[in-house]
Amino acid sequence: MDLFAQLLVNGLGNGSRYALLGLGFGLIFGTTRIVHFAYGPIYAVAAYAAWLAASAAGLPLAISAAIGVAGAALAGAAVYGLAYRPFEARGMSSHSVLILSLALSIVLDSLLTLAFTPSVQTIPEFTAPIFILGPVYVTALQLGQIAAVVAVAAILTLFLRRTRYGQAILALGDNRDMARIVGIDTDRISLVVFAIGSAVSAIAAVFTLLNEGATPTMGFNPVFIAFVVAVVGGLGSIPGAIAGGYLVGLVESLGLWKIPTEWQNSIAFVLLFLVMLVRPQGLFSGLKR
Amino acid sequence: MTTNTLPLQHAVTDGAPPAPAKAPSRRSVASMLALAPAMAFAGRAYAAEPPKDPPVFRIGALLGLTDKGNWNALVMQRAIQMAVEEINAAGGVEGIKVEAAIEDHQGVPRVGVDAMQRLRARYDIQAVLLSYSAVGLAVAPIGEEHKIFMLDGGSVTDALVGPFKYLYHNRSVASVVARAVLTVPKQMGFKKMAQMAAVTDDGQSLIRAAEADWKAYGGEITATEQAMSNASNIDTQMAKLRNTNADFLAVWQFSPGPGLVMKRAREFGMKQPIIGVEYTADIGKVAGPHSEGYIFASDYFNPNASDPWPQRFAAEYRKRFNDNPEVYAANYYEGIHVICEAIKRSRAQGGDYFTGERIRAALLANPKVPSVYGGDMTFKPDGTGLKRVGIFKVTNGEAKFQNFAEIN
Repeated sequence: MDLFAQLLVNGLGNGSRYALLGLGFGLIFGTTRIVHFAYGPIYAVAAYAAWLAASAAGLPLAISAAIGVAGAALAGAAVYGLAYRPFEARGMSSHSVLILSLALSIVLDSLLTLAFTPSVQTIPEFTAPIFILGPVYVTALQLGQIAAVVAVAAILTLFLRRTRYGQAILALGDNRDMARIVGIDTDRISLVVFAIGSAVSAIAAVFTLLNEGATPTMGFNPVFIAFVVAVVGGLGSIPGAIAGGYLVGLVESLGLWKIPTEWQNSIAFVLLFLVMLVRPQGLFSGLKR
Repeated sequence: MTTNTLPLQHAVTDGAPPAPAKAPSRRSVASMLALAPAMAFAGRAYAAEPPKDPPVFRIGALLGLTDKGNWNALVMQRAIQMAVEEINAAGGVEGIKVEAAIEDHQGVPRVGVDAMQRLRARYDIQAVLLSYSAVGLAVAPIGEEHKIFMLDGGSVTDALVGPFKYLYHNRSVASVVARAVLTVPKQMGFKKMAQMAAVTDDGQSLIRAAEADWKAYGGEITATEQAMSNASNIDTQMAKLRNTNADFLAVWQFSPGPGLVMKRAREFGMKQPIIGVEYTADIGKVAGPHSEGYIFASDYFNPNASDPWPQRFAAEYRKRFNDNPEVYAANYYEGIHVICEAIKRSRAQGGDYFTGERIRAALLANPKVPSVYGGDMTFKPDGTGLKRVGIFKVTNGEAKFQNFAEIN
């Protein structure tokens, strides 16, 4: 029972990080229909920006984290504006854009390696406090991740429902052509979506930086997790991304209770397969943000 | 010269330790006498043949430069380039320049196979440095088929030892390092071991070697958990390991994996000693203060050794890269020197000497080569290099040498 409780807490902690990843990825894909594989390197950019601010500039952690989020938002918008947008403007197929996103991912990974070396970069001054609740150990980072999901989901929901930009994003996600006809600047809205989606992923990246450090390829696995979470939850659905994140996190953690842990990487994809079989539209696709 | 060439050719054909001598029969003595003039003539002709020098000695290297965990590949690359530059600055090998042809295998066996084929097609490569156990297992049959001399200074898997006669190792393999580090918990009187391993061939080799050794000692294995070498979520594994109340935790992973294991183990309240087979700057960074007391076994590269070569190498490496050399840097730097030394010996025999077969033969004829670890390294007939394995303990973030492991 002690082990079960610990695995449950671990699943909630990791599920929170997955939910953040799924929220950002789902928002971008659900609105622009671009499978954004360069999401991984942008995630890494966020970690490095925060690391530079904390280590090189010596800024407080909260400000460094904010710089990481801002850096990712800028990088995400730049990727859309400088890479995807010109392709779309020339009427390239979605397959071409997909290949471009893969190429971008490789190029950005390499640029990060050149800039920061492949060594791990950490913030040695940071140590997460640990709370002992009976047989269960909970770190401040795990609690922080859960709090971050709640805050991001609330802010995103309010933004989408109450602001003009939010309404425009919803309209774009529903029907791009119709949104254009009614006068929405779809390029600008897509740019904003890329900035917001990248910023959301940056929050997860900062937690990863604090937990294990930053490496140029740290975004490789998160892209796939984000994809699984977004599809399992239902593309473009905020409750879906959150449910998908926690489902993947808990299934991964509790599933390995009895299954050998070398299957860890397969569990998320088995879950994806099962959900696709039973509910191809995802768990929450019927709901609007 | 005849006496030199015959043992050499004998060694090339079997590569195994010499069988006990048998008394020759009368018939075989008569045959030998009859053939003696021909053999003497043939030997003279072979030895007298001038060396066929290539314009350059091109040595291949297959490194995981764009692999997800490419830190060690970049260390290997700069060590290789440093060795090549040093050798060329000193006039090359017998006046001939050395070049490194480095290919990226991305940590993917299929890409490694393509890279090996490219090295063959483009350069007719005769000697190559390998890295990564999975890639090594994929490309070694190609090297074997085409008689390319291969030297692996990175992977520790036992699966690469034995089946490939052209494959040599200048890093101590799993069966050696696992046994070496397990001497420590044995001395402490521990009985219950929990293991955390990488899902790689190296990790599996270490599990096999450690389990055999620990069971032979009479110990118990309470849990074996595994994770990908670059996994960031190992919480389930750590929770399961903690639950078994082992006396100590063995980490069969490589950089930066052990760093995260140490960090999470301590965060989950595990106070047991942690042992492993590697400690690098990256491991130290990820583990932070949780690396304190970590014990590991590794080939012992001591930059302050009394031998001038390790000292010179360490000083130059620090000067060039503002970094301390560790086992990967030392092994790949050494790898280039080992191959160049074998080429030099092979050239002394004359003829078409720059072939994988002749390079291997030169090492079989004399398996002792100078080592950047100090003194000489001796290659065993199975291709593994005999180095002394050191036991280290991390104190204030620094790996401190404790003693050499006493293993049979």
